[in-house]
Amino acid sequence: MISTSIDQTLVKGHKNYGQITDELLANTEGRPPLWWLVGIALGGLMLAFGGWAMYTTVTVGLGTWGLTNSVAWGWDIVNFVWWIGIGHAGTAFTIFFLVFRQKWAGSINRSAEAMTVFAVMCAGLFPLIHMGRPWLAFFILPYPNTRLMWVNFNSPLFWDVLAISTYLIMSITLWYLGMVPDLATIRDRTKNKLRKTIYGIFSLGWDGSLYTYNRYETLLKLLGGLAAPLVISVHTIVSLNLAMSVLPGWHATILPPYFFVGAIFSGFAMVLTLMILMRKVFNISDFVTEKHFDNIAHVLKYGSLVIGLAYATELFVAWYSGVEYEIYTFFNARVTGSFSTAFWIMVVCNAIVPQVFWFKKARKSILSLFVVSVIINIGMWYERYVILISSLAEDFLPSSWTVYKPSIVDIGIYVGTFGLFTIGMLLFVRFIPVIAINEVKPLSRIGKENKKTEKHGE
Amino acid sequence: MANKHIIGVFDDENKLLAAIKNLKQYKANIKDVYGPTTNHDLIKALTRESLLPFLAVLVAIGTIIGAFGFLYYTSVIDYPLRYSGKPLFSFPPMVVILFLLTILVTGGVSVLAFLGRVQLFPGKQPVMIDPRASDDRFYLVMDQNFNPEEIKQWINEAGALEIVEKEIDTSTLWGF
Repeated sequence: MISTSIDQTLVKGHKNYGQITDELLANTEGRPPLWWLVGIALGGLMLAFGGWAMYTTVTVGLGTWGLTNSVAWGWDIVNFVWWIGIGHAGTAFTIFFLVFRQKWAGSINRSAEAMTVFAVMCAGLFPLIHMGRPWLAFFILPYPNTRLMWVNFNSPLFWDVLAISTYLIMSITLWYLGMVPDLATIRDRTKNKLRKTIYGIFSLGWDGSLYTYNRYETLLKLLGGLAAPLVISVHTIVSLNLAMSVLPGWHATILPPYFFVGAIFSGFAMVLTLMILMRKVFNISDFVTEKHFDNIAHVLKYGSLVIGLAYATELFVAWYSGVEYEIYTFFNARVTGSFSTAFWIMVVCNAIVPQVFWFKKARKSILSLFVVSVIINIGMWYERYVILISSLAEDFLPSSWTVYKPSIVDIGIYVGTFGLFTIGMLLFVRFIPVIAINEVKPLSRIGKENKKTEKHGE
Repeated sequence: MANKHIIGVFDDENKLLAAIKNLKQYKANIKDVYGPTTNHDLIKALTRESLLPFLAVLVAIGTIIGAFGFLYYTSVIDYPLRYSGKPLFSFPPMVVILFLLTILVTGGVSVLAFLGRVQLFPGKQPVMIDPRASDDRFYLVMDQNFNPEEIKQWINEAGALEIVEKEIDTSTLWGF
């Protein structure tokens, strides 16, 4: 993907390890700043709205949503796929860059993984609440029961349950294990007894022994190797939920790779958005440099090309197949029909706007990076909207066509997940170092006084 | 059991690496190194490769066999229900489940095996040579028994900041 020469400077300035510890722990020490409290309050408000919407869904029923007989999957599944897609980038960051030896990812992966964990939590909420009776959710797990039944192991919906729970467990594990040495640093540093106890419990008695480090590195590599195919499989399985049906626009073999690329693309955009915000409020600009943003912008640029190619391929295959239903869905419903606005927003936001990153100026300006990353996430939401709703609302029988409109409850649940995500991320930046300190320390030496050893060491 | 140890304090991995290489040359008995971070060369210089991947492969194979048996039992023997005229036993849809379960179980067992092997658990009281071992200092811990004066000299030559002698309770430490 991107070549990083070994003697490139990854951390600005000549810092010793003590300074790095001081700078990167600053966000967890002292009193919480005002913006943090405001953010928590805002997140709480959004979550309260979501809580009301979920309460209404559970007590009144799914009739409070905008679903109709034809459109049985509405905003909930759109949002589910969107959040899952965002969630992918965290693990992708850690693992693909571990595999490709992209050391620059070392200062971003902690935040990216936090984003993954909270985004997957938000995503998991939607299918759960869509069941209508979430307290019976355990029915979908295979366990010996008095009904003497087993679940349908051939159903992609069951695969999805398994994939998402596995993914959530694996990403929490990777995220948590990666931060254990840093939690130990906080434990050894703090004077506060309560903090010492809590961080002491979570740091598992880490003492920094080289023998432990040896096994620790092996374990992280192993988990990374296990999670790499998992990342690919999760969104593939999400796409199979659609692709294994017979609806025009869904029933396509291109969907798995297309969804996977979309997930990486939207996730990287979200990482960029969050890192720009974090860099703004925390003193981490020496660790997350313009070079990092530049690299992410390159990934987005190529991701956008692949996404654009996928859109074009879909259209071509629909036309080339000669199937009238396919042609109708793509050329009438999506390109020119009732979903044309959403379709063109999707094309412009995902396939066209990110192309500005061919220009160095656009990659260097924080403002343009931020704006484009937000635009990409809006575009990716519309992509899922177009795929899901257009195929459902206008399928084979024109007599059953409907207009889909989300209700206030649909919107409430979506806003609620934003609240959950915001609160999660704010708690993360307050209590956990946002940059993996133990990983960044050796990176800070790269390209500086030890140039020679680095070159031979690799 | 508290024993006296010689501890070389470093602030640079490369100097530490030089010291370890020095000491190994003279076959001195290095106990362990404590530090805030590590790198590949340090790990390679002092430790053997972990056997964790072998365990993981065994667990993965076991999981695949076990999960296959489970799926076959549930869908063919215990609850033979036909979905849309498809065969009771069909391998392709199983692949997905086998794949995910293998990752889940192997990952979980590896983490537990790791925690068990290095004896880390919530609430454990770590034996820290010094709080700075998780901040900016590396501590090279040496056995006192072998020619203490020469050891000190070798550590010093490699560029240690200081050399201290300290009693360490080694009963809870492993690697000792």
